[in-house]
Amino acid sequence: MIIKDFPPNQDCSHENFPPSIDKRDFIKKVLKGTIAGSLFLVFPMDISSVGSTAVKNSETTNNIDPTIKLPEEIPEIRDRQYDIHKQNFAFIVDITRCIGCGSCCVADKREYNVPDGNYRTWVERYIKDFDDQVYVDCPNGGLDGYQKPRTDIPLNARDTFFVPKLCNMCREAPCVQVCPVGATFTSPDGFILMDSDRCVGCAYCIQACPYSARFLNPITKTAEKCTWCYHRVRKGLLPACVEVCPTGARKFGSLNDENSEVYKILKGPGVLTVLKQSMGTLPALYYMGQRLEVV
Amino acid sequence: MSKHALRIIMVVASVVLMAGVGFVVKELLIPKSFGLYGPYRADAIDEETQRVLRHGTNASCFGCHQYEATIHLTGNHKTISCEFCHGTYSDHVSNGRKIATLPVKKGDEITTLCLRCHNTEIKARSTMVIKTVGVPDHLKKQNVKLTHTCNQCHHVHAPLKYINEAKKITGLMEVK
Amino acid sequence: MNPTLYEASQNLSHGASMLISNYVFPNDLHVHWSMMIVLYPYITGLVDGAFIIAALYYLFDVKSLKPIARFSLLFAFAFLCCATLPLLLHLGRPERNFNMLLTPSPSSAMAGFGYIYAVSMGVLSFIVLFVYRPDLVERGKNAKGFMKLIYRALTFDSADLSEKALALDGKIIRFLVGLGIPVAAVLHGYVGFIFGGVKANPTWSTPLMPVIFLFSACVSGISAIIIAYIIIRKIGGRSVDSDCIRTCIKTLTVFFILAFSFEMLEVFSHSYLKTGYHHMVEGLLNGPLASSFWLWQVKICSVVPLILLGCMAFITLKDSIYTFIAGIVSCILLLQVFIMRWNVVIGGQLMSKSARGYTVFHTEWFDKEGIVAVIIIMLIPFMILFVLGKIFPFWAEERKGGIQ
Repeated sequence: MIIKDFPPNQDCSHENFPPSIDKRDFIKKVLKGTIAGSLFLVFPMDISSVGSTAVKNSETTNNIDPTIKLPEEIPEIRDRQYDIHKQNFAFIVDITRCIGCGSCCVADKREYNVPDGNYRTWVERYIKDFDDQVYVDCPNGGLDGYQKPRTDIPLNARDTFFVPKLCNMCREAPCVQVCPVGATFTSPDGFILMDSDRCVGCAYCIQACPYSARFLNPITKTAEKCTWCYHRVRKGLLPACVEVCPTGARKFGSLNDENSEVYKILKGPGVLTVLKQSMGTLPALYYMGQRLEVV
Repeated sequence: MSKHALRIIMVVASVVLMAGVGFVVKELLIPKSFGLYGPYRADAIDEETQRVLRHGTNASCFGCHQYEATIHLTGNHKTISCEFCHGTYSDHVSNGRKIATLPVKKGDEITTLCLRCHNTEIKARSTMVIKTVGVPDHLKKQNVKLTHTCNQCHHVHAPLKYINEAKKITGLMEVK
Repeated sequence: MNPTLYEASQNLSHGASMLISNYVFPNDLHVHWSMMIVLYPYITGLVDGAFIIAALYYLFDVKSLKPIARFSLLFAFAFLCCATLPLLLHLGRPERNFNMLLTPSPSSAMAGFGYIYAVSMGVLSFIVLFVYRPDLVERGKNAKGFMKLIYRALTFDSADLSEKALALDGKIIRFLVGLGIPVAAVLHGYVGFIFGGVKANPTWSTPLMPVIFLFSACVSGISAIIIAYIIIRKIGGRSVDSDCIRTCIKTLTVFFILAFSFEMLEVFSHSYLKTGYHHMVEGLLNGPLASSFWLWQVKICSVVPLILLGCMAFITLKDSIYTFIAGIVSCILLLQVFIMRWNVVIGGQLMSKSARGYTVFHTEWFDKEGIVAVIIIMLIPFMILFVLGKIFPFWAEERKGGIQ
């Protein structure tokens, strides 16, 4: 009997790109990161500065045990000057690899303590039949995964697939345009972030977002959204959802790094699309293998 | 000029003065870093950077759990995040100290967790990406009791570990 | 799936194929802009319409409107005082409302509100003070103590009622009213643009939105003035100026024809253009909004008043009957504008941005944005009006001096 494994060229680990690295290399890389990281802790230096205040590395990895080093998942960020004007990040969702396990949704909820009923990211299930009828559902935002097939629809499915959704980080962001107080903004490194200290909770940004990626936090009464885990990215870590994705359906990286997976995909001939292109929002979130039916 | 006209000029002047005072107060109340990069508070970027990490990485778990690491990193589940099944790093460790024990899944919980990814009935899963099984068909085919949970045959960290070992012993599969 | 939602999606005729799953984005289930945001454009609309009546008299010399010109100003002022209340109740963090004035984002349509509101409040207050100066001077003469001080302040401490001084006042009033028209138009047209500028919502994102809002604002304001005039006069046992009512109804007819035409034009162009989101708009109007739009807004509250207004225009009616029908029509039109605001604001949000389904809106009674709060907010302007009536006499003939 042949044991079916992941095909070698479909290695789904995001931790060991370039994709052909084997386990030994991976461990070596982790160890290297460990040694390098501890050195930087011994010699603290002014690594990154944003605006008026400088952020120290020892502060940024606050609650993580200093003796255990986090691998540097996004190279060339940690322990060096972060030029906020010269960054270019991209997020790619490969829907042909998404299995709808909902790990990303769980991780996202845990990373931010997202209140129930609101979603920074979610995973939709699409079912298409031979009459071109499209059935979409997303119970609890995909937090519980998809354990059972749908029973409320005719079962003559032609095609089924999962689509993860998150903030599109539009370069022409409608939410930023409409915010009356500048509480949501595009940072110079291309992230759409929230300033929850200024937000008045008018919900105009929620109306303006064509992707419904925003919600009003029922506890703080301010708008909230996916940030592509900006706090992790600035520490050289992948966003939580990318971190936990078991199949590599979510990919994140810097386009300044020619070895990054996202750089290679964007440079390559594969077809990439964005959501609701007609809105003119110019998202920095790309979809691979996207189907026509997805909005 | 009549007294009336003078009064009106005074009214206009006081309105202008009030607007001027309002403008000065407004300028004073605007947060410091506002407008550094654009019409927003630049310090908000720093504040977002300071957000507490709740997830570490698998490497942060393997630092202590070396035995599990050796198994996890050799199996087909090596790409699975420790924290997805066990809970976040920050619920377990704080400032290098263990603060709580993360729950370990048992019995049917494990089957539920496995089927989150491996259920064949959810047709959307590509065989190129993941191997799926039907339950209870799989149990019947393998001639085991229908009450078996997944982890009775499959090691949760390296699902084919026991199976490959068994096959090695019985000579069903060549040794790699 | 919610059975009513499912039925709603099943009821759609064509274009329904994409809708059958009735999928609503998880963050779209909640309607964020609820009754307070229905009320806010309604109140500014009342201000706008009332101000138009005053402007017709003070700037365009429509003499027949004289009996209600001053009352319209006070009415507009009373409602303008409450225009921010629904917004404050709606905000998640009302205590931060001054951020809108401190750091208004130059790219946001909403950011201008604080400034536009402040300017219109200032202009309207000064118009009222200048219009009422002769009365206030008269009253100030007889007042004592603290009240005398108030009258002095309200008359800018100028008791000069000479012809020259009143002529100057007249000029200032005309200037302020002239300034007030664009300010009022901006105050309300911009409310329409807040909706019209949301490209993510296919029922909102039309350049017609500010125009529709502006005309329907005039309709609601004029209707409100007619009703208030008739009721307050009848309660006081005084006569109703029929000439004035007729002029009001004529103005109302013009604005209502414009408002209704543009409302229908919007629906017509959606259904003719059949753009990518047409199925959603069609499904909305024929599904969740079927009764509130087609039955209430269009049939009961638009077609019926149009017929009545037509009768009033073409058939010679006795003054008492004319006044009675005028009151009825105004009541229906007030309701029409409210339902129209409801259908635009809440109806528009029922469509999920998934373009595959509709959510449902639940009205609450005792919520911060609930029905009780709506009723209270709508009562406050009348209390303000009652208090104002103690200082500023509503009707022109009670005045002894002055040139207006």
